[in-house]
Amino acid sequence: MDSKLKETLLNPIFKGNPITVLVLGICSSLAVTVTLKGALVMALSVIVVTGLSSLVLSLLRNSIPSRVRIIVQLVVVSMMVILVDQVLKSFEATYAIDKQLSVYIGLIITNCIVMGRIEAFALGNKPFPSLLDGLANGAGYGLILIIVAFFRELLGSGTLFGIDILNRFGYVTNNLVILPPFALILLGCIIWIQRSIQKDLQEK
Amino acid sequence: MNTNNNSYTVIYTTVIVVLVAAVLAFVSQSLKSRQEANEKADTISQMLTAAAFGTKAEFQAMGNAAVLEKYGEEIDMAFTIDAEGNKNDDLDIESKQVYSPAELKKLDYIIKGKQQGETALPVFIFKNDVTVVPVYGAGLWGPIWGYIAFKDDMKTIVGAYFDHDSETAGLGARIKDDPDFQHEFVGEQADFESSEIFEIVKGGAPKDAQGNSIKDNKIDAITGATMTSKGLEAAIGTWLGAYAKYFTARAAATAEDCCGDQAQSCCCDAETAGCDDKTNEEE
Repeated sequence: MDSKLKETLLNPIFKGNPITVLVLGICSSLAVTVTLKGALVMALSVIVVTGLSSLVLSLLRNSIPSRVRIIVQLVVVSMMVILVDQVLKSFEATYAIDKQLSVYIGLIITNCIVMGRIEAFALGNKPFPSLLDGLANGAGYGLILIIVAFFRELLGSGTLFGIDILNRFGYVTNNLVILPPFALILLGCIIWIQRSIQKDLQEK
Repeated sequence: MNTNNNSYTVIYTTVIVVLVAAVLAFVSQSLKSRQEANEKADTISQMLTAAAFGTKAEFQAMGNAAVLEKYGEEIDMAFTIDAEGNKNDDLDIESKQVYSPAELKKLDYIIKGKQQGETALPVFIFKNDVTVVPVYGAGLWGPIWGYIAFKDDMKTIVGAYFDHDSETAGLGARIKDDPDFQHEFVGEQADFESSEIFEIVKGGAPKDAQGNSIKDNKIDAITGATMTSKGLEAAIGTWLGAYAKYFTARAAATAEDCCGDQAQSCCCDAETAGCDDKTNEEE
């Protein structure tokens, strides 16, 4: 794989992470990180949506009339989101989690990462790099989601994937961790760690 | 090609929208039967949760097939009643016929007189004499519905489960997500003689000296979810109102039953005196 593609694939995971560096998609990362399972399903859904929308729009990029390009993007992105929602509803294993995530699956449409990457990347690049860029940005988002959800489920409910971990040792669950503000505190800590590693992100 | 002229733009957007619509319609149609099966198992697990056969999480962990099987084991009869509270058609227990939210919505319109149609309200009676009926109404953002289970005195609530389409997470959504809220219903008594059959009140339901909720027809509303609480109260009021005639008739029938059958120890204390009088006269 040539270095440019590698950069496209790896940059959004850490150096240019959509949540911690671009600070996009904060809203849903507060809402769906109470349980690890929810975060995992959400992460996969976003990866699919960002990847496929970037691919489709990159294929269409030369034919889209520039005056209505945002509308065309919206139509394609909403189609992907509805498809993901319909598929999640169809499987026994994911039906309950889809109900639990309820509106947040539909709200992937409004996730700035999706539209942001299409505008910034897919409309100016070939389909294959666009697909990689979409997938990688979804994965970067998902990674942070899973880290946050790991701590929130572990400290908030004493479980991981619903299996008792800390609960076995008589851990008293912390309700603050379940509430949305704690996700912000955790996100703040993650950004702090990243900025102390990556000095070029620090403002003078 | 000039992609900026008007006719190109119009044709392009039209084609895109029609294509997307076709894809979505096709996917929706081909996944429909799977989704309906999931929804049906979910509805059944809601009824079983209301009837206190287990918690929703337990049923979720069991999987669809086991939930349907459990329902098959526990259900005694299921039928519809008309507006006068008379028993109508039987529902198909074999195929585990239940009502989807969409069907409840239609019945809700009929009850409220917004739509013409035959009143055919479902009643589900389980083998342990628990009767489960649905409720349906409007929350803040979308429909809310659920199931309430009654003991055979037809007024004491055994349990309740509520679901919603799009209530606010953490506030209105607590009618579904907060087991404590649903637990408040247990032991409460619907009052079919009063104009307020069941109330969800702000500022605290009546409590006894120990601070426990008095088992009347009032429970506490959810803080921060006034509209959802009011909507739920209205939904319960409207639907139990529609069932009132049937419930009162069945409560009376149960009371008579225990007077007639002396071998059975009298189950209704209030009626005991009446029963004794009757038997004395017969002697």
